[in-house]
Amino acid sequence: MKLLIVEDQVKTGQYLRQGLSEAGFTTELAADGITGQHLALTGDYSLLILDVMLPGRDGWQILQAVRSAGLSMPVLFLTARDAVDDRVHGLELGADDYLVKPFAFSELLARVRSLLRRGSNTPQETSLQLADLRLDLIRRRAERNGQRIDLTAKEFSLLELLLRRQGEVLPKSLIASQVWDMNFDSDTNVIEVAIRRLRLKIDDNHEQKLIHTVRGMGYVLEERSS
Amino acid sequence: MRRLSLSSRLALLFAGCTAVVSLFAGVLFGRASEVHFVELDQQLMESRLAVLRSTLQGADTLESFTLRLPALLQDLAHQPELAVRVRGPDGHLWFDSSPRLPLALETRPGLGSLQINGTDYRVLVPQNDNANAPHLTLLLDITHHQHFLQRMQRLIWMTVGLSALATAILGAWAARSGLRPLRRMSAIAASVSADSLNARLPQKQMPAELADLATAFNAMLGRLDDSFQRLSAFSADIAHELRTPLSNLLTHTQVTLTRPRGIEEYREALHSNLEELQWMAQLVNDMLYLAKADHGLLTPRREPLELGHEVEALLEFYAMLAEDSQIELSREGSAQIAGDRSMLRRALSNLLDNALRYTPAGGVIRVLVGWSVNGVSISIENSGPGIPTELLPRLFDRFYRADPARREGSSEHAGLGLAITQSIIRAHGGQIRCESQAGITRFVIDLPNNT
Repeated sequence: MKLLIVEDQVKTGQYLRQGLSEAGFTTELAADGITGQHLALTGDYSLLILDVMLPGRDGWQILQAVRSAGLSMPVLFLTARDAVDDRVHGLELGADDYLVKPFAFSELLARVRSLLRRGSNTPQETSLQLADLRLDLIRRRAERNGQRIDLTAKEFSLLELLLRRQGEVLPKSLIASQVWDMNFDSDTNVIEVAIRRLRLKIDDNHEQKLIHTVRGMGYVLEERSS
Repeated sequence: MRRLSLSSRLALLFAGCTAVVSLFAGVLFGRASEVHFVELDQQLMESRLAVLRSTLQGADTLESFTLRLPALLQDLAHQPELAVRVRGPDGHLWFDSSPRLPLALETRPGLGSLQINGTDYRVLVPQNDNANAPHLTLLLDITHHQHFLQRMQRLIWMTVGLSALATAILGAWAARSGLRPLRRMSAIAASVSADSLNARLPQKQMPAELADLATAFNAMLGRLDDSFQRLSAFSADIAHELRTPLSNLLTHTQVTLTRPRGIEEYREALHSNLEELQWMAQLVNDMLYLAKADHGLLTPRREPLELGHEVEALLEFYAMLAEDSQIELSREGSAQIAGDRSMLRRALSNLLDNALRYTPAGGVIRVLVGWSVNGVSISIENSGPGIPTELLPRLFDRFYRADPARREGSSEHAGLGLAITQSIIRAHGGQIRCESQAGITRFVIDLPNNT
């Protein structure tokens, strides 16, 4: 998975590159629009992360060049401008997603993964599994170590999300958006409560904990060798 | 070109009006006195004519006329300004009392006037009933009348000029003093700056015509003052809100770096910084959102929404939180509206979040959705201690917290939630208000029906 970041602010670019590299992506960084466009057209990337305001050529122009060259990789825009027009403009030109600075890195990472996953056609699973936790998607049943667990509809959706994206740190905003369709910044602790309840049902009676809190970032479902 | 000032214009207008009126009166008076003088002259001459005729009774020939000449001269002696010419029936001049005058005179019968050598005369050529009687021509010197008329004409012109001048001056003064409230208004307007938005026009002393203007002007100043106060309070609050987490970050980072530490300590420091930073990012994002709303950039989409469904989704979102706090959530009614789903969800979630925060355990939160006179009404009410009436108007102010001691640098919300809710409702063309009595607090949203 090779990603291109076009970002003229040196620190931002470097941090993004480091973060994405450590998350397992091959990352290249361009600091101006002209280099960025050249790389985007020639480099065979799986995803582009474009800043809107760039020296040389702005993000919109790069996007247009990329799309008119027939390239269809997902494009994620970063901008400090939080105007509705920008969003509309970007989506019209064929941007796939949009993040307004300041944003959390965990949010960016989650969006990047969503975009990359959107492209690949994963076969329809009938069940999801991690360690001894199993989710039957057809009968809507969860069980751990062979024991059935009663979940509410929302708890089931939450667990499904965690299982589908196991190993990924999911920020609270993403969980709110995916499970409850609440697409706004909220400082409520609804997600904490929901996770706590899910833990009570999934992890409490088991030696190995599966749901983990990544402080300041979100939640992750994974097997950890403690 | 600069237009004439209002008071100059009024003064000129006054002067013009006075001049026209006095000119008209003067001309009328002049005409009347002229007519009057003509009548007087005619009466005088006709009475003299009767005397002369009786004196010249039967003087058909020059001889008989010569006999009556002394009596005629005696008659004329009484009237020095009257001249008489007598011609015989054949047209020969028998007598001329003032030979200075030219012979050729108006001979048409009737009353006329003429000017000879700078002297004005009234001429009367009477109709002769008896063809044999001598023809008389009477000439009356009317110089004194003419002098009087000329004097009067001069007087009239002078009056016209002087009264026009006087009214111009008086008018200018009156206009200036009449427009004094306007000047006061402009002086106050000129003195208004960001520092002195509290200046107001004295409404009571304003004349009726300006009272409305003064009221509107004062209302404008009031609104400006209010917005400005809020804006400056907002800036001060931003600085204050950011100062706490910033100083925490600075102190904590510097202290951490003062000496080598174990990896866990560094991790802990970064985590703690992260919390502050996330709080600041949230604050900045919220402020950007509000700034966008202030600039009218918050343009909601108009998608058909079933409000009952939206509220239900939100209640489901908050269900677990409410259950934890032993608060009962419920909804009644529904309505359709065209609006922005995620914006309205955000607006309502702030209210629900708020309600959950202030409802004591065992309390209830009820959401009522329904049609109102002008559109749709959503009310969110919760049981609880209630909000003092004097605090209600400030509730939607930015950074306002009912309890000032509640939050300082913690990760809890910064007090922008209700302001954001209000901005969203306003962007939808609606209104939000809060009413509170002991035991119940209710937020009421009115949205216009635009489906």
